[in-house]
Amino acid sequence: MFIYAWLIFISPLVGFVLSYLVGIKYRNWSGIIASTSIGLSLLFSYLTYLQVNAVGPIHESVHWFYSINYGIYVDHLSLVMVLMVSFVGLMIHLYAMHYMGKDPNRHVYFAETALFTAGMLGLVISSNLVFFFLFWELVGLCSYLLIGFWFFKPNAASAAKKAFIVTRVGDLLFLAGMALLYTHLVGFNGLNGASPLSIPYLIDNAGLVAAHVGKTTLGIVSVLFLAGAAGKSSQFPLHVWIPDAMEGPTTVSALIHAATMVTAGIYMVARLFQVFQASAPFALESVAILGAFTAIFAGILGLVVNDLKRILAYSTISQLGYMLAAIGLGGFLTIGYSGVAYGMYHLVVHAMFKALLFMTAGSLLLAMMELRDVRRMGGLWKRMPVTVTLMFIGAITLAAIPPTAAYFSKDAIIDAAWTYFTGSGFGFISFLPWLFLVTGALLTVLYTFRMFFLVALGKPRSKLAEEAKDPPLHVQIPLFFLAAFSLGFGIWQSHFYDYIMPSTPIPSAPIYIEAIPWAFIVIGVAVSYYLYGTERWKHFHFAGNPLYRVVKNKFYIDYLFTNIIAERIILPLSAAFSTFESHYNTSVDVVGRDTMKLGTFMRRIQDGIIRNYFVVLISGISIIFILMEILRLI
Amino acid sequence: MFLLAIFILSILVAIGSFALMKRRREYSIIASAAVMVLTVVYSLIHFASSYSGGYVSISNIALSPSTGIYFSTAVTGFTAWLLILGTVIIFIATLIIRDSKESKTIYSYTLIAGTGLYGILISRDFLFFYIFWEVVLIPVYFMIGQFGGKNKDSASMKFFVYTQFGSLFILLAILTLYNFYSVSHSGLLTFQMSALLNTAFINKIPVLWKDFLIFGFLFGFLVKMPSFPVHSWLPDSYESAPFPGTVILAGGLSVMGGYGLFGILLPVSGIFSTDVLYVLIILGIVSLIYFSLTAMFQQSLKRMLAFASAAAMGFVTIAFGAGILEAGTISASAYASANIYNYTTFYSGILELSGGMFQIVAHGLIMAMLFASLYFITERTGKQTIMNLGGIFREVPVLSSLFLAGLLASLGLPGLAGFIGEFSIFVGSFQAIGWVIFFIIFGMIVTASYHIWAAQKSLFGPYNETLGKIRDINSKEISILMGLLIMIFIIGIVPNLVYVPLVSYIAHLGGIGAL
Repeated sequence: MFIYAWLIFISPLVGFVLSYLVGIKYRNWSGIIASTSIGLSLLFSYLTYLQVNAVGPIHESVHWFYSINYGIYVDHLSLVMVLMVSFVGLMIHLYAMHYMGKDPNRHVYFAETALFTAGMLGLVISSNLVFFFLFWELVGLCSYLLIGFWFFKPNAASAAKKAFIVTRVGDLLFLAGMALLYTHLVGFNGLNGASPLSIPYLIDNAGLVAAHVGKTTLGIVSVLFLAGAAGKSSQFPLHVWIPDAMEGPTTVSALIHAATMVTAGIYMVARLFQVFQASAPFALESVAILGAFTAIFAGILGLVVNDLKRILAYSTISQLGYMLAAIGLGGFLTIGYSGVAYGMYHLVVHAMFKALLFMTAGSLLLAMMELRDVRRMGGLWKRMPVTVTLMFIGAITLAAIPPTAAYFSKDAIIDAAWTYFTGSGFGFISFLPWLFLVTGALLTVLYTFRMFFLVALGKPRSKLAEEAKDPPLHVQIPLFFLAAFSLGFGIWQSHFYDYIMPSTPIPSAPIYIEAIPWAFIVIGVAVSYYLYGTERWKHFHFAGNPLYRVVKNKFYIDYLFTNIIAERIILPLSAAFSTFESHYNTSVDVVGRDTMKLGTFMRRIQDGIIRNYFVVLISGISIIFILMEILRLI
Repeated sequence: MFLLAIFILSILVAIGSFALMKRRREYSIIASAAVMVLTVVYSLIHFASSYSGGYVSISNIALSPSTGIYFSTAVTGFTAWLLILGTVIIFIATLIIRDSKESKTIYSYTLIAGTGLYGILISRDFLFFYIFWEVVLIPVYFMIGQFGGKNKDSASMKFFVYTQFGSLFILLAILTLYNFYSVSHSGLLTFQMSALLNTAFINKIPVLWKDFLIFGFLFGFLVKMPSFPVHSWLPDSYESAPFPGTVILAGGLSVMGGYGLFGILLPVSGIFSTDVLYVLIILGIVSLIYFSLTAMFQQSLKRMLAFASAAAMGFVTIAFGAGILEAGTISASAYASANIYNYTTFYSGILELSGGMFQIVAHGLIMAMLFASLYFITERTGKQTIMNLGGIFREVPVLSSLFLAGLLASLGLPGLAGFIGEFSIFVGSFQAIGWVIFFIIFGMIVTASYHIWAAQKSLFGPYNETLGKIRDINSKEISILMGLLIMIFIIGIVPNLVYVPLVSYIAHLGGIGAL
């Protein structure tokens, strides 16, 4: 049997090389080559899907170095991801051929996005944590390069740096988790020849591993993995890099910072769910709480920014929080692995509508000459009807208004959180996820429609907005696909759940609980229409409000990282070390100089006068004799 | 004999280069390339498939049997890789010599340094080991003194005296061994490593002398690495040296230090008490953090990279200490039936020990690439401080990309060589030192930060228009950097090329007495 799965990530790798080399001469071909290679990935993903249906999970592993293997592992979970990544990646690449169509370095762009897609697909299907980590860093690298794609913009260069360093912190904690796990598994008889960091081994033998390693230790491992996921998926407090990452081209934001790469962390937790589950309960509890908290936290931040792309960025962080929380809810026994199904379903739905939102935002920004302030837009529904209608579809999906797909995916998570609360004895801690998530739902509606009404309704508030026009229809074809998915994917809810885990229950809650999100939708839309659907928002001034200031300053988290940790701790530390180093260096020089001076002084003794030598000789011998006498006396 | 032939060839070409009046550049490039290619061929023959540990190409040429002077050579899987690395470094160094009328002798110096390095790595006799050890220093001293930049006189003097001071302790340690071997062990006069490097014998030496010789070896090797606190020659020498000299310093001298630890001392790891090993681990961690934080504050890219190089060598010291600590005494019996592909039986310490050796190889290549690309940047812009560059990506995209690739390799990005070594050391040392690895994490975060920060400030952002128009590198220069990058990439993707000989080397260390 020929394993197509290898080709899933090899195809875009080839696309990376070709699109760059061909693009040096023929710029326009690079986009076509990159898109084709990703189209082929989609094809191979489909073939693999058929193969997995026929023969079950595919696992191939080859010795890499020492006790580490590389290889692929494809099961239902990874298939869902590869299909999503290659499909959304293809759509975004097709759109990017229009969006980046005039950039002089577009061959570099397409080469890098193809490399990114290869990395992402490789990450999803890799069978060993170290191999996984290789792709994990590769996508991080591509993210770094693509955020800084317009490298001459100081903001872009600085955002790229921030993204790299913040995710690096998470990555190294992830690595520490691997080190801890590896150390405890080395020499374990139950390995039966598997590499200690093999993913299929870990998830199939999680109980065995937990018994050998100890539940608490495995819990620490899990929390370290979670830290890695938080860096990649920008969960609190490592979320700070995504909003800045919006300095990159909008298609990059769509591909990397909305649909695919940022879900890598979520995927990692889902992939290793069994490990999290087998370890001490605090592992999955922290997953649930962290996710739910980020959902509400980023939602609050999303309310006050005016940059179109940053609003979307915060909504991404918030939605990622939902996915993570859903997986964390699996810590409650009756939810179990279904939590992964809920989370993954939201992940796929989110990828579709967020890619759609970002690309419509890209069309808007092309028309608005990269002016991203929503307060300067307005009235665009009339001027760009197709784009804004597509954005509307994205917005109602984001707000989880029935019958869009996100309604099904998100309400399931909120209801599951209610089950989590009621099922685990009404504890306060288990109440938090539901509370955060349901409040987050209100915030989602508020910031979504604040953004949408500011963009679409009212009168144009700038010259650029007055003259904005739709891009040609044919370049928008990918967006129609995504819009169709956003609207219609809900009908596959139970199929999707069952594909991840057979006979997953669709969560439900008492009707008065289920009604709360619906009520929030009505309230949210009404409030945002009241404020932002008209020009009333201009008459409200929050600037003096201290609470508003705190939120506007992003709860001072960025301030803490940049101004306190980086500038007040690390930099002075570095200055201190550096000063010490230069003093130390000088002192060595001084020792050297003094030794030379000593040499100069000693040279005088050898003055060549025999008489003096005799004096020294005689006195030396005398001293030795005297000393010997003294020693004998003692 | 093949090995000896290559070595003699490298001596001859080095001497021959003095006689040459014209076309020294072509001559030395071809000569160093020939030595490099022959070494690779040699290594392929002996280590590609059939190597299973121990020494190969053993030869003993008796020079003066009565005083115990032999010229003995032998190579292990580890030294084979160091030989490849050393010859590559010398080759790269000859390629980046700025050609001018005055630069006649610098080619010869480079070739002599290469010969010395070769001699160190293949000698299995302490006398010749020490002679070649000194042979490397002299040409580098002249290189800095004659062709160096700012403060070249004091820098070259400092380099020479400082490293000479380190070597002196090695000499004393060797003489101590020599003396005790003949006086109290066997009555034979010999400098043979196979005889002198014997754990049982060394452990019988009176404790004060034994401590002295351990100190002497460690001091001499750590100076070369360099490790905190014996690194003071490093920043000035790196900065003053011409670029080929810097490449030799970064690639060659660290190889000497690393070879000293893993090639000379690892086979007698039983002589170390745990206290010494802890001291080594601490020195490694302190080096990593101290050099990283110091590097962060440097204005000059060259000086920054000098500290980055020293920080990366901190990993090697950690690996050495942690590996021996974890493995206990490395002896034949511990690894008697070591099947390195059998994951069900693990041999403690192998991961970080081979990671440490891997790191030496990776570090040499990465530093050669970084300094070579920095040379091209400096040559074009005349600047090497971060603040005086800025946005040069716009003007020299290819050169900037390659420099960036070097920086990424240096900070340990997976897929490139630096990662495998750091991963192995990081994961492997966990067992020996536990949560102390959080200090390593801190060091790695700082490392990533200043690398990326330097890239942002010097390569990206708005172009510094005062630099004027600069041209991108030509295809010859690209091929130099690409060649290094491809090596770094291949080793990072197929680490077993390096890993298998290293693991075999460690697993069979117990057979040392057989030589």
